[in-house]
Amino acid sequence: MVQDLLTVIVGGEAGHGVKKSGNVISILMNELGRYVFEMDDYPSLIRGGHNFSVVSSSTSPVYSHYMSADIIVCLDKRSVDMHKDRLKDGGSLVYNADTVTLDPGTGLPMKTWIKDIKGIPLMAGTIGVAAVSALCGVEFSFLERIFKANYPRGLEANVELARMVYERMKDDEGKFELATAETRPGHLLAGNEAIALGAAAAGLDVYIAYPMTPASSVLHYLADLSKKLGMAVVHPETEIAVINMALGSAYAGARTAVGSSGGGFALMHEAFSLAGMSETPLMVILASRPGPSTGVPTYTCQGDLDFALNVGHGEFPRIVLSPSGTNQAFEKAAELLNLVWKFQVPGILLTEKHLGESWMTTSIDPESVEITEPSLYDGPLEQYGRYEKTDSGISPMLFPPVKGTVVKASSYEHDQKGITTEEAEKVVEMQEKRYRKEKAIREEMRNLLTVATYGEGSKSLVTYGSTTLSALEAVKNVDDVRVVQVIFLRPFPDWALQEALSGSDVIVAELSISGQFENLLRSKGFDVSAHIRQYDGRAFDPPELAARIREATQ
Amino acid sequence: MNLETYAENTWCKGCGNFGLLNSFKDAVNELVEEGALKAENMVISSGIGCHGKTVDYLNLNSFYSLHGRAISCVSGMKIANPNLTVVAFQGDGDAFGEGIAHVIFSAKRNMDAMLLVHDNMVYGLTTGQFTPTSDKGFKGKSTPRGSIEEPMNPLALVLASGGTFVARGFVGKRKHLVGLFKKALLHKGFSFVNVLQPCVTFNNTYSHFRENTYILEDEGHDPADFQAAWDKALETERIPIGLFYQVEKPTFTDLLLEDLVPAERRKPPSTAISEIISER
Repeated sequence: MVQDLLTVIVGGEAGHGVKKSGNVISILMNELGRYVFEMDDYPSLIRGGHNFSVVSSSTSPVYSHYMSADIIVCLDKRSVDMHKDRLKDGGSLVYNADTVTLDPGTGLPMKTWIKDIKGIPLMAGTIGVAAVSALCGVEFSFLERIFKANYPRGLEANVELARMVYERMKDDEGKFELATAETRPGHLLAGNEAIALGAAAAGLDVYIAYPMTPASSVLHYLADLSKKLGMAVVHPETEIAVINMALGSAYAGARTAVGSSGGGFALMHEAFSLAGMSETPLMVILASRPGPSTGVPTYTCQGDLDFALNVGHGEFPRIVLSPSGTNQAFEKAAELLNLVWKFQVPGILLTEKHLGESWMTTSIDPESVEITEPSLYDGPLEQYGRYEKTDSGISPMLFPPVKGTVVKASSYEHDQKGITTEEAEKVVEMQEKRYRKEKAIREEMRNLLTVATYGEGSKSLVTYGSTTLSALEAVKNVDDVRVVQVIFLRPFPDWALQEALSGSDVIVAELSISGQFENLLRSKGFDVSAHIRQYDGRAFDPPELAARIREATQ
Repeated sequence: MNLETYAENTWCKGCGNFGLLNSFKDAVNELVEEGALKAENMVISSGIGCHGKTVDYLNLNSFYSLHGRAISCVSGMKIANPNLTVVAFQGDGDAFGEGIAHVIFSAKRNMDAMLLVHDNMVYGLTTGQFTPTSDKGFKGKSTPRGSIEEPMNPLALVLASGGTFVARGFVGKRKHLVGLFKKALLHKGFSFVNVLQPCVTFNNTYSHFRENTYILEDEGHDPADFQAAWDKALETERIPIGLFYQVEKPTFTDLLLEDLVPAERRKPPSTAISEIISER
């Protein structure tokens, strides 16, 4: 029987090449013409512990991974203990016969084989890939081609190991007859990579960040690509330096972004407010982790919504949006960078590890991204004021050097020229000027995708961020439920959400104990008939979420 | 050129900031006249405190920044556009308390920026508390029985952190101070000038500094000699002012950017992103 949806779990110690094998399995599936979603689960450590990768794939889009697997490859004993109950009926369990004996299952003497060919422990992952490939009936020459592209170092040893796996598993070869397609359905990108490329396509000139999981991969990716993209990428001493440098950079005319997780972004608050006061365009990538405090660094949660919406002392307009998958992440990152420059406000792209670090099949067109230039001053230079009063609240910009005038930005309340003032009338004037931009942003949002509706149904499962991915996968098996994703969270697109919901029953799904998103919806006047919450640091498993949706809608 | 603004000056009569501001204006004017500096290329930034008002009083491009962060702010400007000449004005509490990490790291990375510290050893605007450079025993509002901490040594700190231009000036020696500012503005790399100045209201040190400072240049100090600079930085009996140390080294932005000017680059290489994606 030809099988469409297939889920593979590979588990082992850190240092066994688990993530790499997950990646290569994803590449293999992608090359077979299948859509992929790969989730990598890893604790906050360098060696030992337990890592696993889950790869769900299908010839139609897979929005999120499943926790029940058709194939489970255990590179150590702990993986067996942790994952064996996740095996679906008729599934295959492959284990390291040097560390455990199981029945049923396919034992491969991984350690012995690696020793025989004088290999390294990382090659356990290679054996895992080959086992999956054999079970799926992938021709050996096809696998060899994948290996050539992905294991340039020690290629011969890896191919030899794969040959040993195919030989040992020949009775099970092709046990899973996979549906395939002629062409690849897209490219494999992680969410943080899509965010980085989206910002780059919209003209990001400078990226400044201090490492913090799960935002660090944006820094790593852009640092790696900086020469190719012609971008300056800087890792300074603290998050406080990060954002203050970023404001200086944007003041001087460079499109600049910063990124962090909750703790690091908390350190940036004071200067986030400075961005609001000085009207300096700034894009912030906030990749949240389960908190509070250090929390659970390498896992996923949505407990930072209130934080993102309300960050910064004082009152000033800002934009907060949250994309679902890689395609939207690319588009919305580009859009946010354009918006913060158009309106000269700080903006937050709120995301989670589930998007940021998961690999997804992605179809994006960088050529489709347009760069919105900021409003630039073209009047008589002697009259220039950085904070000139306008109807929209947007003051035309200039960037030094400009001969004939000066550009004065300030953290203090200021007059139109940027000189400090404490006069009541002028304070009011500037407060109102800044606040007018809020209205201008709302007007602009009417032309943008602020709320997305997926599928049809009389009931609405309302989500935001990467929980939308779990929801989209879950409702494949639930009748009469559509998914409504709120993309812009501040300003809140109440008009668009009203239209999307059109009076339907609302079920809210989110990764939060207190229901921050639900509270936001209620505060905007929306009724919520049921909610589904999870806060264990894991994304929803689609079948479990489906069961909870059915329960909630009965 | 006219560096005045219409902002009303609200410093106390006799404030040391006047001498600093006027010396800076003189330095800029002289360099502009000499053709060594373009005023439109300059951007200044300040922290928060009495010193911070400097940006309002100078008709130059400016970013009135946060307490302790001016050097970070101008570092960002330099990264965006290495053709700018950037100067951070900070107070002693600002630079050595709230923002000390940025001072150390700006020296460490040889950021091509000037940091000018208004060191009056007291928080003036918040009405008189001890700062990182206040003497032990200083009685301020938060230390009414006298500070129990030893003062910090800013020159030794910046020397140890890798500063490539380390100087100390005194507002009572205006001509000498103008000379230091001019050298600092022209220095390629991180230039640090710690300026001794009295706070006439909360810590009037005029006569103390007049009596106890001497000019390094008068005593044949060699600013290329790091060990000599270090020894001078540790002197406390008499207080040396002048250029302690100067060395040429590649700057952070030279090494980071090569020929890139991020602020002038409006579009990424059009095919670069498509290529990056197609490789995946």
